Amino acid sequence: MKNPFEEFHGAARQSREIPLDKILQSKEETLSRILRGYEDLLKNEAKDLVWLMQYSTVIKAYTIAEKGIEGIEYTAEDIEEFCYALDRTDQIPYLITGPAGVYISALCNHAKEDEIVLRLQDLNVKINLLGYRLPPGKRVVVEGNVGDFTGIGLDGGELVIEGSTKNYTGAGMKRGKIVVRHNVGFNTGHGMTGGEIIVGGRIKGLGKIVGGKVYERDHLVFPSEGIKPFYF
Amino acid sequence: MDLKEILERKWPEVKRKHLFPQLPVPQLVEGEGDVALEIKSKQISISVSFLEQFEGRMAEEEVIEALLDHGITHYMYCPWDFHTHLLLYNEAKKVVKDKEMAQRATEYFIDVVANTYCVKERETKIPELYRHLPKGGVQEVIASLYQEIWGVDLGISGHEDRVRRLVRIPYLEKRRWRESIKKFTKAIEDILEKEIEQERTSEKRAQNPLGDHSFSNYSLEEIDKGLREFASTVEDIQEFKEAVEDLKDELAEKGYASGGMGRGAGNPIDADLLFYMKLAENYTLPIRKLPMERSGDLHPHSHAPWEIGKPFADIDVWTSFGKIMPGVTQTWVRREGEIYGELESTPDCLIIIDSSGSMTNPRERLSYAVLGAACACNAYLKNDARVAVYNFSDAFRGNKLLLDYCTEKERIYRAICRYFGGGTALDLDDILFLLSQAERSDIFIITDMQITNLEKLIELFNRIDNRVTAVHLGHNVHTARFMEGTKKRKNISLYSVKNKEDIPKIVLGKIREYWASSF
Repeated sequence: MKNPFEEFHGAARQSREIPLDKILQSKEETLSRILRGYEDLLKNEAKDLVWLMQYSTVIKAYTIAEKGIEGIEYTAEDIEEFCYALDRTDQIPYLITGPAGVYISALCNHAKEDEIVLRLQDLNVKINLLGYRLPPGKRVVVEGNVGDFTGIGLDGGELVIEGSTKNYTGAGMKRGKIVVRHNVGFNTGHGMTGGEIIVGGRIKGLGKIVGGKVYERDHLVFPSEGIKPFYF
Repeated sequence: MDLKEILERKWPEVKRKHLFPQLPVPQLVEGEGDVALEIKSKQISISVSFLEQFEGRMAEEEVIEALLDHGITHYMYCPWDFHTHLLLYNEAKKVVKDKEMAQRATEYFIDVVANTYCVKERETKIPELYRHLPKGGVQEVIASLYQEIWGVDLGISGHEDRVRRLVRIPYLEKRRWRESIKKFTKAIEDILEKEIEQERTSEKRAQNPLGDHSFSNYSLEEIDKGLREFASTVEDIQEFKEAVEDLKDELAEKGYASGGMGRGAGNPIDADLLFYMKLAENYTLPIRKLPMERSGDLHPHSHAPWEIGKPFADIDVWTSFGKIMPGVTQTWVRREGEIYGELESTPDCLIIIDSSGSMTNPRERLSYAVLGAACACNAYLKNDARVAVYNFSDAFRGNKLLLDYCTEKERIYRAICRYFGGGTALDLDDILFLLSQAERSDIFIITDMQITNLEKLIELFNRIDNRVTAVHLGHNVHTARFMEGTKKRKNISLYSVKNKEDIPKIVLGKIREYWASSF
């Protein structure tokens, strides 16, 4: 009897490897290394799934984050990919937005590119602490909204948020520029000593500002007649 | 060599390469030179003038082979069917919020997927074809992407930033297509916008050289099946509504409107009704066959041509026009008859549906009450029974809708989907009137039981012998009272549902029991 599937023999061809396979494989490897670094940070800093936002904890978390990403070859797209991985429970066991923000900041600060564009419009979580210690010569553009403590301790870089930020934006920043296209929350610029915060929308409230400049819809709101520099 | 001959020779080869897809033989058509392919209802048509344009640049055989590879891969891999196409369009629309842009992004995406699949999995001349195709705007970016992901030189430079994002998309991972098309659309959004803007000002459409992927290229059956699957995939009714509204021209062009079984020319498409129709079709009720007996009698079943030598006794004089002549004369073919062991039939059904303020508005969000009623409606209609609808909120203030027994699916769905809001009271005279219009009609009531004249309803149900299936949402004192008041009646079955999503299952389960049990 004739095999009815005989014609199929030899018809199927072994699939050939194309550069796309390598690109995707290397992307996956990089992402898994970045994720491992993040997990290490959580293990060290948020053992009990609690992370208290304090001056010392942020510094410590940042140091661990820097160590975690040491030796990883990544691009701005990998950072964006990591941000979206934070949204997926299959890739991230648990999300604590504070350390996540510190970790992303470390990634941005040590990236090869001078300009990093993160398209985060579809991200469900609002990442805190983005732009922490952004150094001079670096420009980070975030498309979407972000959370609290955005751009704290900014150190000369330029952070552009094409959306809104929450409370304590630019707190403790020393120099550089933060541009927020829409609105910012309370305590904006709290403890900042230099640099500029330019807000396209509304500022809910200013913090105790030491130095620098804050603009709201093209108007200089700090320093101004009503709001004088604060001395701690 | 003649193009037709080349096509006839190439087709079996290409078919074999793609593991014998069930596609009709492609045809050559005269047409405008810019577009090479058209695939309508699985029929691949190749433009002769397009092939002529390639003369001297690439062998005709190779062009035909590449075009066939491209066309077949659309059928075999991406988009594969109407549902996948619609799903991808829906995701792209979420990003660009514009129909034209979303359609264009979807077309580009499925082309990239199909071509890349073909390049990876088959021996193909597609890269060679792309080397010679005209490139501009988005096509140029995509050619640049192909250079990177296929590892070929197509003579394009630039677009590095954009391509850096595009190369990271896992085009060949089906389960990630929804996420991938979003990234893809986002990456080309601005140039796509420019391209469309340019077309609007110049009034000349930038055509896809390998043909457009219009939704109207699918057959009615494919659209029907695709919408059914899409209704169960989308997160809410608004998403379905938006997609159907977007495609209403294409669907209407195919003669698709919500009449009868959801199709038929003439009526405008009501996306809400279509949503519930398609969703309810996913919960098809398997009906148990009733016991049948062989009677042993032979009865005339069908006709067959009479031949010389066959007996005259079976000739049907009426269809033979009184003539005895081979080719004209017909004989009866007899078969053993089947009769019912007992006389059984499916009764008609009165659907009583509560559309008071405490119920979900079916036109805003997915209403599981309406879905349950729709499933029941389908089940009865499929058994050749008729369905009546009593839709109420505060019936005494005129917030009620009565639909007499009928078999018109669209009218029934329209009645089920009507939403009043407000209080909850039944006018029992209306129910008695509807019950009087059919013999021993079944009653299917779906409500949250917060009915002001619940006692009267319990009284009524205790008085009548009709089979009643009551489905109530949530548990409260009213449901407890209804349960207590009707517990002695065997013809009344009450189903409490904690999760609204369970309604279709419960409804179907119950009706299944009905047909399984003796009357």
